[in-house]
Amino acid sequence: MKAVGARLPRYDGVAHVTGRTTYVDDVRIRGILWTKALRSPHHHAAITRLDASKAEALPGVHAVVTHEDVPKNVYGHLEALGIPADEPLLAENDVRYKGQPIAVVAAGDEDTAREAVELIEIEYEERPAFFDIRKALDPDWPQIHQWGPVYPHFGPHNHRRVRKGNVDRAFDEADVIVEGVYRPQAIEHCPLEPQTALAVPEADGRLTIYSCTQAMYFSMGVVAAHLEWPLNKLKFVGGTVGGGFGGKVDTATETICALLALKSKQPVKWRWTREEEFLASSTRAPWHMEIADALTNDGWILGRRMLTLHDSGAYARFSPYGVTKHAFHHTGAYTIPNVHFDGYVVFTNRVPTTAMRGFGVTSVSFAVETQMNRIAEVLDLDPLQIRLKNANRIGDTTANRITLKDPSTVPVVLAAADRIGYDLPAEYRSMTSDRRSGELLPEHLVAQLGVEETSGNGGGR
Amino acid sequence: MKLTVNGVEHDVQAPQLASLLHVLREELDLTSPKAGCQQGGCGTCTVLVDGEPRRSCLLPLAAVEGAAITTVEGLGAADELSPMQAAFDEHYAAQCGFCTSGFLLAGTALLNGSPGATREEVLEALSGHVCRCTGYVKIVRAVEAALHGEVHPERVEASFEPEETEVLIPGSPA
Amino acid sequence: MTSRSLDAAQLVTPTSREDAIEAFGDGAELTVLAGGTILMPELNYGRLRPARVLALWNAGVAGIRREGSSLTIGAMTPVAELEAAPEPLATAARSVADREIRAQATLGGNLCATPGGEIPRGDLQAPLIALGARVTTAGAGGQRTEPVEDFLSNGPGGRLVLEVELEEPAGAGHATVGRPHSHGFTILAACAAETSEGVRVAVTGAGSHAVRVHSVEQALAGGASPEDAAENVLKDVQPRDDALASAWYRQRMLPVLVGRALHDLSQKEGTRG
Repeated sequence: MKAVGARLPRYDGVAHVTGRTTYVDDVRIRGILWTKALRSPHHHAAITRLDASKAEALPGVHAVVTHEDVPKNVYGHLEALGIPADEPLLAENDVRYKGQPIAVVAAGDEDTAREAVELIEIEYEERPAFFDIRKALDPDWPQIHQWGPVYPHFGPHNHRRVRKGNVDRAFDEADVIVEGVYRPQAIEHCPLEPQTALAVPEADGRLTIYSCTQAMYFSMGVVAAHLEWPLNKLKFVGGTVGGGFGGKVDTATETICALLALKSKQPVKWRWTREEEFLASSTRAPWHMEIADALTNDGWILGRRMLTLHDSGAYARFSPYGVTKHAFHHTGAYTIPNVHFDGYVVFTNRVPTTAMRGFGVTSVSFAVETQMNRIAEVLDLDPLQIRLKNANRIGDTTANRITLKDPSTVPVVLAAADRIGYDLPAEYRSMTSDRRSGELLPEHLVAQLGVEETSGNGGGR
Repeated sequence: MKLTVNGVEHDVQAPQLASLLHVLREELDLTSPKAGCQQGGCGTCTVLVDGEPRRSCLLPLAAVEGAAITTVEGLGAADELSPMQAAFDEHYAAQCGFCTSGFLLAGTALLNGSPGATREEVLEALSGHVCRCTGYVKIVRAVEAALHGEVHPERVEASFEPEETEVLIPGSPA
Repeated sequence: MTSRSLDAAQLVTPTSREDAIEAFGDGAELTVLAGGTILMPELNYGRLRPARVLALWNAGVAGIRREGSSLTIGAMTPVAELEAAPEPLATAARSVADREIRAQATLGGNLCATPGGEIPRGDLQAPLIALGARVTTAGAGGQRTEPVEDFLSNGPGGRLVLEVELEEPAGAGHATVGRPHSHGFTILAACAAETSEGVRVAVTGAGSHAVRVHSVEQALAGGASPEDAAENVLKDVQPRDDALASAWYRQRMLPVLVGRALHDLSQKEGTRG
């Protein structure tokens, strides 16, 4: 453990400060073509006509690709986890968000590619767009996704659910019920390096793909799936990411470059503009979270009901996974014996949402910690004392039936209190993560305590 | 058209209204200035024009005819880092590295023009540059180290002393 | 990679004021390039494919000339140089974007800035109106000099900005919604100046260009307190929603900022600059 806390040189530090780090856009290959996309100007519309022949005929244009050129156009980012596909690489019958790619052009320079995009003939029939996730289950919901208003494939359910204990009884027995609604909004990752890829056809028929992806093998799998190629025909070069923050988990540019390179038989680069980044790159999701807690007057949380609506945007992408992680964390770092959680992945006509730093968990942590403060305010109790009392301890069982062996809530809260000079009574200052007993094991927590596995010396300060 | 970059004169063929960024990257293969936004908002394309920091994406080629351009390639090579480069390396001011060129040149111009700059002046000089990784603390620390001459151009050595935390902006949790 | 549309554009770089006026003519089918901070993104993104571009960098229309309390500021003067101009222009100039942009952007470009998307641009317009500045332009019908507010309401089309004249005020006030760090446009700013014709007040960010707020000036002249006078600002402007701020926010902030600018003015009145 010598390296922990040590000061070590960055392996890439000198390359960064001499400007020698090679990002995808810095790869120098002769004769590359530049890509521009025809993107939907509408939030939701049917495509009634698409004719790219004039674009193909423009001098300097080497390839135009539409949905017809994609061997497997509709793909699901989580197909490997058994989650079905719903998103076309290039729009076919309809567009479901503003900025959705419909056709792409590779030309000798960016200007020509732009002119060619303008020559693509397309007609739309605009449809009503839907943005308010709270209205997803209203009867007048406008049809925007073939699966309905919400992602329907959580086993037998159309939502992720967590059930534990008897939440109705907890609410019957509560002294006080505290409710809160929490609505964090979308955030653009805004990496300084825009989405960029470069695909180079090799003499042996393989493709070399330079990628800014955060998820190399995942991106390789996505490209192979769309092309219906074996993985060994793809060589990915990556590892140098100009900022990602989750946004470069999506495979945004690699597949398009591959298709254009195969059709034109030339190296093809697609570097998004900053405008495209803001318009069409995925964002962190907006969420709507409703929490109701059943409480005793002295600050014990007897039960929690929670409803989460997650804005997935126009397609599922990673959202079911994000909501599942969110569900696991809906009790935060606290032990609540009776819970009832429902989390919906709601489709809207936003750009699809994706991973960003603590995918699904940051939203629920924001809601839970704000709710803890709200509880303290309503009960007129100390917010840190409430946290310490309800904090996960060794032997506690989580909402997902996991018996905790090394929870760290108590020492972390105490360390934070120390750092900010927060005054706590002696009985709280001396708390540890040890297995509950005495006053910290009230009647309502007895049944949730797991079988004793450790002697209780794994936690503490 | 003639363009002097890092002390070397080049004959360039690009249109007069092409951006300097485009000429540097695509014609001269100098890739340290980055096309982060191509509208002057991010700072990644910054170069020095006659010693002053400028957005190369906002400068038409014809406007810099006869000027001396400096990019990071002209600051110092790996074995002879400039003080600003050495400070950025030493203080971990580069994380993903994509914004680093712009910060280095803005910092270099400040070091050359106002070596006695205050914290406030440092923040002002860097204010046109966006970094999404570091939160700026290490960048400001590096620029100040270079201003104060507290730079160790030899390679950063491993050290096992914990660093002190420093509050950059009063009231912030940094 | 070559760039077809830029190859095709004809660049004209006059080397004197007279040549610039002649090359501009009536301005038809001509794109004027001053500092480039607004125009270059349009070229980079291929949104603008100009046939003919008039670049003013050698036209000899830059610099600040002082004669007593009068100043003449050339159209190509960089915003950075205005940081030493009379208030409230200097403070407004210091609030523009960042160091690199201020060194490149120009007074003339700022006066001619059309809204970017739906976002108002032109951070220097309000201080110039407050100062009672007059702008000299060339174009069809020859040169003319007019108040900045008249120039702005007619729009910059067909006019080539040459210079701006202003008198140093007896006092000045400035208030803005702070937006540190970024090449951003002003959300809202209010400027006031004690001029020879009384207190003049203008706001930036409440419409497609800055406007003079006569109702506030009249209330002040009628003896209203700065706070009460400031409430009148909403009679002269109808704030809109855009990507920077909502109309709701602007409606609430405008009287506050105008009040602060007037308060700032009352603190400094009688002290030049």
